[in-house]
Amino acid sequence: MPPANGGYMIAAYVAAAVIYLAYSAWLFWRSRSR
Amino acid sequence: MTEVPAAERALRRSGVWMAVALLLVAGVYVRALAFTPEEATQGLAQKIFYIHAPSAWVAFLACGIVGVCSLLYLFLKDARLDLLAASSAEVGTVFLTTVLVTGPIWGKTIWGAWWTWDARLTLTLFLWFICLGYLVLRTAVDEPGRRARYSAVLGILGALLVPFIHISVLLFRTLHPKPVVLQTSRPQLPGSMLLTLLLSFTVFTVFFVALLVRRYAWARLRDARAQSAADSPDASR
Repeated sequence: MPPANGGYMIAAYVAAAVIYLAYSAWLFWRSRSR
Repeated sequence: MTEVPAAERALRRSGVWMAVALLLVAGVYVRALAFTPEEATQGLAQKIFYIHAPSAWVAFLACGIVGVCSLLYLFLKDARLDLLAASSAEVGTVFLTTVLVTGPIWGKTIWGAWWTWDARLTLTLFLWFICLGYLVLRTAVDEPGRRARYSAVLGILGALLVPFIHISVLLFRTLHPKPVVLQTSRPQLPGSMLLTLLLSFTVFTVFFVALLVRRYAWARLRDARAQSAADSPDASR
């Protein structure tokens, strides 16, 4: 039976999404505002 | 020199690319989380593979672009090569950050430790430090020619780490697993997992290109505006 480690999976996917969305938003905002 | 209107059009087009790429990444999330089977021994944490490995591929691709553009810049002295290297370094640092965040989360549940000082992890961390140093260096030197030369040298040194990171799991005894997908003699991933992984590699590469194009278009517009301001009649008063 596989180990119950879905929390780690969710944490990694959320962390990656936060990093990519934050950079995309920063890049978009930075290039729009100057 | 790129004129300002053309640079503005390029920047607008890059926004569409970014939106499409983000939607594709969302599609990979859905495919990996909801439509890819759970691995029997590692459980759900194995799915971290689908974002960790493609992010690493893109980070190394970005560093390779930095190295090639930096090398070409030293010979050709074309400012566009310097801008492309700087753009690739910034976007690559973001992907490398994701690698260094998702890796320990996976390691904690499989190895029982957030971090271990083995060759691949340590070299990847050093590459991240070099990337940060590259970005800091670019903000610290004002004169464009000198900034581009210094950055090019550091960019080449950083790119030289990439092949060492790739073969580090073969050269040293490490906890990090060896490549499993590229072993053509021993296919190990079931078809549905392999499809998700290939899809993820493709989409993350598209996402990287979209971010790179956006970052480069912004840098070109910034320089075009600065040049336009310097050339205007008001600037000489």
